Amino acid sequence: MAISFEQIEQNLKTEARKLLESGKVSLVLAYGRGYDENHPMPYVAKHPSDVDNIVFNEYCTANLARYLTRYPRRTKIAIAAKAADSRAVVQLIQEDKVCREDLVVLGIPVYGMKNFKTGEAIDSKTTGGLSNPVLYDILLGEEVHGQPVSSPYDVLAAYEAMDKEERWAFWQRELGRCIRCYACRKACPMCYCDPCFIDQNKPKWGEKSPESPGNLMYHLTRFHHLAGRCIDCGECSRACPVDIPLYLFHKKVAKDCEEMFGQAAGMSIGDKPVLVNFRVDDSDKILE
Amino acid sequence: MSRIGVFVCHCGLNIAKTVRVSELAEFAATLPDVVVAKDYKFMCSTPGQEMIAHDIKAHRLDRVIVTACSPLMHEQTFRKVLAASGLNQYLLTIVNIREQVSWVTHDIDEGTAKAKALLNGAVRRARLLAPLTSRVIDVNSDVLVVGGGIAGIQAALELANTGKKVYLVEKNSTIGGHMAQFDKTFPTLDCSACILTPKMDSVLQHKNITLLTSCEVSEVKGFVGNFDITIRQKARYVDHTRCNACLACTEKCPGKAVSEWDEGLVKRKAIYIPFPQAVPQKPVIDRDACTFFKKGKCRLCEKVCEQKAIDFEQQDTFTTVKVGAVIVATGYDLMDTRALIQYGYGKYPGVYNALEVERLFNSAGPTGGKVTLRDGKEPQAIAILHCIGSRDKNNYEHCSRVCCMYSLKFAHLFKEKTSADVYQFYIDMRAAGKGYEEFYNRIIEEDVKFIRGKGARVAQSADEPDRLVVEAEDTITGKFIRLPVDMVVLSPAIIPRGDAKDIARLFNLSTDRYGFFMERHPKLAPLSTMSEGVFIAGVCQSPKDIPDTVAQANGAAAEALTIVVKDKMELEATTAMVNPASCCACQNCVRVCPYGAPFFNEAKGVSEINEALCKGCGLCASVCPPSAIIARHFTNDQVLAEMEGLLEF
Repeated sequence: MAISFEQIEQNLKTEARKLLESGKVSLVLAYGRGYDENHPMPYVAKHPSDVDNIVFNEYCTANLARYLTRYPRRTKIAIAAKAADSRAVVQLIQEDKVCREDLVVLGIPVYGMKNFKTGEAIDSKTTGGLSNPVLYDILLGEEVHGQPVSSPYDVLAAYEAMDKEERWAFWQRELGRCIRCYACRKACPMCYCDPCFIDQNKPKWGEKSPESPGNLMYHLTRFHHLAGRCIDCGECSRACPVDIPLYLFHKKVAKDCEEMFGQAAGMSIGDKPVLVNFRVDDSDKILE
Repeated sequence: MSRIGVFVCHCGLNIAKTVRVSELAEFAATLPDVVVAKDYKFMCSTPGQEMIAHDIKAHRLDRVIVTACSPLMHEQTFRKVLAASGLNQYLLTIVNIREQVSWVTHDIDEGTAKAKALLNGAVRRARLLAPLTSRVIDVNSDVLVVGGGIAGIQAALELANTGKKVYLVEKNSTIGGHMAQFDKTFPTLDCSACILTPKMDSVLQHKNITLLTSCEVSEVKGFVGNFDITIRQKARYVDHTRCNACLACTEKCPGKAVSEWDEGLVKRKAIYIPFPQAVPQKPVIDRDACTFFKKGKCRLCEKVCEQKAIDFEQQDTFTTVKVGAVIVATGYDLMDTRALIQYGYGKYPGVYNALEVERLFNSAGPTGGKVTLRDGKEPQAIAILHCIGSRDKNNYEHCSRVCCMYSLKFAHLFKEKTSADVYQFYIDMRAAGKGYEEFYNRIIEEDVKFIRGKGARVAQSADEPDRLVVEAEDTITGKFIRLPVDMVVLSPAIIPRGDAKDIARLFNLSTDRYGFFMERHPKLAPLSTMSEGVFIAGVCQSPKDIPDTVAQANGAAAEALTIVVKDKMELEATTAMVNPASCCACQNCVRVCPYGAPFFNEAKGVSEINEALCKGCGLCASVCPPSAIIARHFTNDQVLAEMEGLLEF
């Protein structure tokens, strides 16, 4: 860790205060204290006096890019963004949901974030293998280097070892446990549809009660809607009250997508959203 | 509650052979809302149509399902029946039980079961169909022709003569195409330039033709009746409005580059006109060969130009034209035979390809029309090798169609211009065409030697190092032969232009496995494409000779005219619309639409669809995550109901 969580918190407060006082932004998306300090919550600072409520520690995993699309277009927003969060920001810019010039990205280079439920380090599972933001205006610390380099897809090894039937049985079992609280959808920065397809009645795409066919319809379609867009923050899995490892499916699709089209989601604002952008030299493997 | 009539066609035995049609009609009668179900031998015949019209009245039908052939064949026929009977034409459903059922199985049980499943789905969907109103749009009366070879020239002239305005786009600095490179044309042996150059000149002079040379189509928007075409005018570095074609610049220019026109046999200047009869006869600067562009000084052409027409600052410019129809006539390339190392092209100076030989015969060519080898000597023995790379499973399986005939023409011209022995190595002679067989017989009389066997290899002669040896099996005598010659002419496979793929992408054309543009129907719509309002002519569709190319060009002109002759046209009502309440503003629709119909309304924060541009392809609906886009006639409800019906089986 190049820099301590306390220092990041201090830097975050300093920059947030400067931005709000100068009027450059009308709000800062950051973290505040939850019911105890191990459970920080997303916090929106709108006034310089709010800045004292900002915290940052190893449990601040929530992806604040989730909240960018809640504000009217053209709202000037500063956002605290870790590596995966910054990819979400980039992906949202690619999709023209937010404008680059309306954002001040406060990049957080960080390693050693923990799952607030289990205390387990999340770096090897869901950060896309990155420690440093891919896009920022102000970096709240020095870039992190020297951490063990792991492929974001290493964690797929056990899943990929399963054959087709085993995978189908695995997901039927896992998704069968879903209680349809939609926390995954709420936590996801890329899930901005309103209404979500599953909430529609005409046509009714799937049953709304927490039973298997409707659960499969909801999750498989959501996986499909996030293909080429999931930026691997892992928030869906951490938000899930019944601990369904949703990140496995997203990662597998992200891997396939990267292998087929040579592009990972949210890595560069110059990229175009990969699955709705046709190139003559695109792989036809997807049709096989 | 709807009242559905189901009409099952036998199509003679086409359907009845592998689908039990009366059983299908009996089954139909059991389906919900079906009030009448009949089968008949030929539903498209007048009695068949009258039967449907009668039943619409007699049974007060409000939906009609015809299970017959592909909707591409008779959808319009039956729509007219509905319209004449006072029903909205979009309340018709065609179930294709011929192409998709009876023709793809020999098993009557299988065929009948599949037909029932499709019909079951169709009935479920038909109940949800809604009447739609066709749109009437204004039609732009101008036409774009892409490619200035003989096909493009002919099509442009025909259209211009009817009074329509034509934009003729050519990527080279002159029109004329490959035909302008030829010396004589088979089988009549009339001079190619003599018949082509008057047409080229007519193009230049014609008040209805805007000739756009050194231009390429860079973007295509809109669709039939209303295309918006962006054209890139490549920098010529010569202001053609000032140039008076004195060509003093081309004399002084020190820059050299290989002449594309003479197939690389000679060099040309960096500022040049490709050949003496070029149209327009005004020079352009080849930036890659120009001394000024390479070294930063020279500008000799600028000094000698009295008209002050040289402009080194010139940039590519873009213009947009609006047209109602497009004719694509982009022609061909010869296969690069260097890849076929057994023939030694590019290795042995005595090996030529067919277009190079065309230039050798041409009096405006590199040798002034004398047939000499690269070392200046006259050949004593010449072998012409047919089917190099074509009719060849390892390369191109198709027959290039003109090689037999031009090889005969070459033989005749060799005999006329040299005293050489001429040998033809052929697989079989294909001389199908008016006067072609007669021409073949005439050449046989001219003491040309025909060896039935494909040339297998060209090698250097061991005894005489400056000669070549052609190896082949003479399949008539069954003997292996080694023939010493001085000159080998390869007849390479004719393939689409290298950039045909880009053209296909621009105009949404499909291509066959070799890259030739696909026609809508090989027999009945050979000049139309799946892209409405875009027609094809000439070799870009498949290899063909000049008479066929010209005939196609005339046909394509007539096809284009059927569109632009009208002020208004009716369009399918099957467009897409956005339900703004569900739109999540992801703009996927904007990104995937090939026609540029959806756009993002920043003020409302939702996508909208310009229905005038929408073709109803449904791509936007399929990528819309919250299913906010409704593809009329293929709504989610309708498609899901059809699928449920299908999956019941």
